[in-house]
Amino acid sequence: MSRPSARKAAPKGEYIETDSGNKVSRRSAITGTANITLGGRTVIMADVHLRGDLHPTRAVPSSSGKEVTPTSISIGRCTVISTGSVIKPPSRISRGQVHYYPMKIGDNVFVGPHCTISAISIASHVHIGDHTTIHPFVIIKENVKILPNTVIPANMVIPSGSVVGGRPARVVGEVGEGWGVSGGGAGVGGGLGVGGGGEKSWVEGGDLRELVRSIK
Amino acid sequence: MAQPFPYTYYSCDCYDSKVAPNPPKRASQPPPADDEDERTFDPRNARSNYSLYPLEHLLYCEDCQQIRCQRCVIEETLNWFCPSCLFEVPSSVIKSDGNRCTRNCYNCPVCTSPMTVNTLEDPTDPSSSGGPWILACPYCQWSTVEIGIEFEKHTGITSQLSRIANGGKTIPTAKERDKERERRKEIEMRKKDRDYFSGSEDSPSTDKDEGITPSHDDLFSNLSAFYKSQMASQTPSNPFSPHEINFSSPSSFSRIMNLYSSTTHKKQKREKPSPMREAASVHEGLNIHDPATDAAAIERIKRSGWSSTLSSSQKLAQPNPSIRFDSELRPVASLLQTKRGKRCRNCRHILSKPESKITSTRYKIKLLALNHIPRLSIRALSPIPLTTTQPVLYDYDRLRSGIPTHFLLHLSNPLFDPIRVTLATPSTTPGKIQSRVTILCPQFDVGANTDVWDDALSSTLSPIKKPTSIGPDGNPQTSIEAGKIWDRGRNWTSVVLEVVPGFLIQPLGSKEEEELEEDEDVLEIPIFVRLEFEADVNAEERGLGDSRGTEGKREKREEAFWTVVGVGRIVGN
Repeated sequence: MSRPSARKAAPKGEYIETDSGNKVSRRSAITGTANITLGGRTVIMADVHLRGDLHPTRAVPSSSGKEVTPTSISIGRCTVISTGSVIKPPSRISRGQVHYYPMKIGDNVFVGPHCTISAISIASHVHIGDHTTIHPFVIIKENVKILPNTVIPANMVIPSGSVVGGRPARVVGEVGEGWGVSGGGAGVGGGLGVGGGGEKSWVEGGDLRELVRSIK
Repeated sequence: MAQPFPYTYYSCDCYDSKVAPNPPKRASQPPPADDEDERTFDPRNARSNYSLYPLEHLLYCEDCQQIRCQRCVIEETLNWFCPSCLFEVPSSVIKSDGNRCTRNCYNCPVCTSPMTVNTLEDPTDPSSSGGPWILACPYCQWSTVEIGIEFEKHTGITSQLSRIANGGKTIPTAKERDKERERRKEIEMRKKDRDYFSGSEDSPSTDKDEGITPSHDDLFSNLSAFYKSQMASQTPSNPFSPHEINFSSPSSFSRIMNLYSSTTHKKQKREKPSPMREAASVHEGLNIHDPATDAAAIERIKRSGWSSTLSSSQKLAQPNPSIRFDSELRPVASLLQTKRGKRCRNCRHILSKPESKITSTRYKIKLLALNHIPRLSIRALSPIPLTTTQPVLYDYDRLRSGIPTHFLLHLSNPLFDPIRVTLATPSTTPGKIQSRVTILCPQFDVGANTDVWDDALSSTLSPIKKPTSIGPDGNPQTSIEAGKIWDRGRNWTSVVLEVVPGFLIQPLGSKEEEELEEDEDVLEIPIFVRLEFEADVNAEERGLGDSRGTEGKREKREEAFWTVVGVGRIVGN
């Protein structure tokens, strides 16, 4: 009887905050934590699935001779992975065996809700809209906006500064010169709307620190 | 460029200022025409589509002191690169090989996704080269196997593909084509001579020996060779090559004379070119329409149905857009992209210039409108006080007709000088659904922008709680007063906007009203923004972040532009 009440007395927040400021939801599903690196101030929201257990199996020649834990997912700073997204390292079948490759996500990347991502590399300042599917071995360069409900076919390379949309994805435009620039006094105006939308104090592709700070 | 509500678009008046006889050099000069002041901006005007941009896409010319949009800048290409392999392509190659990647970058002709080079190697019987190789689409599973093309190597796909026709036959190279053409010509000449001498009547049979219709490329090369020969016969010799100058030829003589004479003289001397002969046979590039091919095409559609035909977008993406069937598809080499700098169309100053390296995303010069004109944003003013930590999400897609709704219009100032803002809006929005709009405080001041550090410091403080926002009885309505601003911060001010969304359904009497068009139910409010501020005279000379006190004269400046605020979508009751 006492235990539930004790739990109530000390309500835990939605997020576990690490020393480097990463916020990981208690409701997220993370497998193979040893193979995942988070850069700091990165948010993993509820129901996000990080498949760290799918790591490269090939022997890594290490100089010191001791076992090195292979990295499967590496995420940069101030990156936000929204609810329901799945991050799964890409794999390839070679000589009858499945090989996983390490994937890298840069800084200030926003991944919208309910995405499935298997890209090999996502650079910094990328905004990924909701319900987007990124097939294995896609390379996304800096300052890219991916529109919602996009399917990016495998092995596609998206050059920096593109707006991408469609099924299959194609480059449909360019982001403006002001992409990601939160200048113009877009400070924290009392939490009021600046930026593209009305109620957010951050801009797509810009510095996501404010967004990360506001997530509690 | 659909954006989620609420959004703000800025209007660039470059079209109007171009129409005006003398665009004012400085915005501080009095506005030129009265009617321009009278007219309100209509976001539903067909032309407005082309003048509205999100603020991120706009540049600012500091010399003209005007917003510059994509229409009023000149673009200059810095370099070309392939978006797929990210290799830079030199401009000389662009001129010779065209604007497509000449490496292994191909797009699927069916679904446009980039194709990969896969092997068809039999694992039980591996070949030495690892091949044969094919191009395959990872998205729709189309591959070059379907058009009967396999490659020997996995590199140099472009050169291999240029030699293989659909079905695996080799395509003759340009040289072989030339030789073949010469041979054909000779045969024909001989035949003609023979016919002439023998007088036989079997000349129609000569056409039949071709057997198959020549391909698109064959015809093109034949035609271009024919035209080249015609051009050569028009201008008998090259006036610049010393060996071939023929002074007896009047055309070459006049050419030489033209080199030394003035331009007026040249004009007189230019004679009308004599008409060229048209192509007369297949080896000259003439393609006579054969009704049999149409019949064959119809027959084929009958046999394999519509699924074997191509959509118009698939056809247009092909190098030969006149093909009809999926067996004629070719993988499409990926189009190159460019990196471009931008200049002001008026004063030719550089507005943006990216670093020329492909991998770099930095800019050498970037003059953004973001840093020069205030950012306008709108959000709903929630009817209940924000006592709970959970923000109440307002559904901008469901604005209720006829119910007065309050919105907060937020203006933040990027300039390092305080500005005085005057807002104006038509009392009813243009369009079929007329919504009433009132800006409760149309004139107010916005503080100056300061260093980023102050910003960071102030953010650590608790946000300024406006005491009037919660009334004595917790009723926020008390604080919404006409003529007073809602809230203000260091470099931002927000005012209240009252909107009464119009009615979707017309009153019952007017049933004959036509149906609402697409997006007619979107509530867009045109707002005219006018700024007044005092700035240093040589403000454009000093760096923006430089705060050293120039004791120069201050001058009064004015800036004005239209914005369109997309508030939401009106739904019926």
